[in-house]
Amino acid sequence: MNKLQEHVYLTETILRILKQNRIITILDFLQEDAEKLSTLTKLNLSQILEIRQAIFNKHSANLIIGSTLFVNNITTKKFILTGINSLDTTLVSGIPVGLITEICGLAGSGKSQLCMQLAINFVKESNNIVLYIDTKGDFSAVRIQKILEAHGLSHKDMAVILLKIRVVYIWNIEELIRLLENIKKGVLKIENLSMIIIDSLPCLMFQHFGDNNNMGLTFLNRVINYSRYLSKEFQIGFIFVNIQTRWIDQDITDPEDTESACSIKDLTYNEKRTRCLGKYWKTIPALVIELEKLKLETNSCVTIKVLVTHHINPSAIKSCFINVSAQGVI
Amino acid sequence: MSSEFKIYNATELWQIETSLPSIPTFSQNLDKVLGNDGIQLGSLTELLGLPGSGKTQLCLQLCASVQVPKALGGLNSEALYIDTNSNFTLSRFKEILFSSLAKCQRIMDSSIPIREEDALKKFHYVKAIGLEKFCAFLYQLPNFIRDKPNVKLIVIDSIAFPFKDGISMKQRTGLLFRLVADLQKLTLKNQIAVVLTNEMTTRIGLSTGAIVGSLGDTWSHRCNMRVLLSAPEPLENIRLAAILKSNIVAEDVGKFQITHEGIRDVQ
Repeated sequence: MNKLQEHVYLTETILRILKQNRIITILDFLQEDAEKLSTLTKLNLSQILEIRQAIFNKHSANLIIGSTLFVNNITTKKFILTGINSLDTTLVSGIPVGLITEICGLAGSGKSQLCMQLAINFVKESNNIVLYIDTKGDFSAVRIQKILEAHGLSHKDMAVILLKIRVVYIWNIEELIRLLENIKKGVLKIENLSMIIIDSLPCLMFQHFGDNNNMGLTFLNRVINYSRYLSKEFQIGFIFVNIQTRWIDQDITDPEDTESACSIKDLTYNEKRTRCLGKYWKTIPALVIELEKLKLETNSCVTIKVLVTHHINPSAIKSCFINVSAQGVI
Repeated sequence: MSSEFKIYNATELWQIETSLPSIPTFSQNLDKVLGNDGIQLGSLTELLGLPGSGKTQLCLQLCASVQVPKALGGLNSEALYIDTNSNFTLSRFKEILFSSLAKCQRIMDSSIPIREEDALKKFHYVKAIGLEKFCAFLYQLPNFIRDKPNVKLIVIDSIAFPFKDGISMKQRTGLLFRLVADLQKLTLKNQIAVVLTNEMTTRIGLSTGAIVGSLGDTWSHRCNMRVLLSAPEPLENIRLAAILKSNIVAEDVGKFQITHEGIRDVQ
């Protein structure tokens, strides 16, 4: 809770008097009877009300006029292109700015590879900075350098790109919340920050799996709130990496032909995939990019099927294919 | 006010990554498939395989390889072996250790005898049977590393075994991810390689084959590198190592053999 601060009328002596009367925070001040405050501080009633009004003005949500909103809406950047042609076509406009995007897939399906490629593409031909939040040591600068080398970039160009990719190691969810808080409060300043990639969130969330309280959910909620605030306020894109797990349903289907004396029951197995992080999270991302690795086709290249779902229209799932090779993700 | 978080830029990380040495497996083919000429310090590798596929043998070889003298580009460091399933046998480790060191001496053309006792002092063994002992040891691992800064390899054989009994599925996932996050934070900071072994389990009905690594799908995301070991011909010494997941190298299959001396290339 915010402490009561100095004001034209609230001099140091008055603040001390208030403190002696256990009126320390803004809330204490607002809850106290105005007449009592007036006698305590020896200010007149209208001055007290003026202070109250000043506090309300300072702390209330801002009123924005519709026309300003409209101007902001048409002047701000709304999307960042991924730089991967087939993916850009499917996404129509790229990764949304100011909203949360999720990349999910099974283990080894290329999530981290796609993230590293996105980091390269976002900074390549601009002054943008990407912050890569690594929770399991998956980020490989050598891999990025090899991709750039395969594209024939000079050492100098490679260094320029690498300098624009920032990496931070985070090992638990409390740390992640503090990091986002630091960025919000401006303690941690990153110029030209245009994208935050979190690889991966479940790694942190699973640490609270099986706790009997719902602390994990509380933390998740705080991460989401900070992310939403940051993405809107600083005009940045947020990519969360999520994982998928597989479940198997056993269906016993009775053969239609019941006449046969020994009815052989067919056992069929249905493999189902679920995105982790629970039901609450499902409603959070505005865009879900699902990766599925296809069978190895050639020795040097892996094809990945990409399914794209927008939250505006969850039933319309578009798909495309991307390739992962020594040249990165194309 | 400065931030508590260290933000690296990728060039700094590139310098760190390229300067980190690796622990050789003594099979050039396997080293090539793993990338970085072996198991790089600071990495987290998971070895998967059915019983008898060579997981423990490879771990023992790495514990010996970590002692390769500096003159040969080795690390001349120590290893910590956390045994959770009593798979370890000292006689087999001595066999691998001394033949590996003898090989190094042959290459260096040196005639200084190896002092067995000194070599064995560079190997730290912890028998952690049961979940309590295992967790308790991992919690005080930072102290252990502080006392023995020359430890550059930590082997946990196996990671799944302590969790087989006495813990619910949900709690298992939570505890496992907490332990591994702490372990990785410590080892990344101190530049220590971690090798875990994991058993296989059967999940009927999976489209990708019913035999998968244990600890579930969630766990399979955790390690940077997953290597599946298999014995194509059950009675022979040839083993295959398939990279299932890696952040640095393409998926590939390596070949090596287990001899009396340890892990070697197939002749």
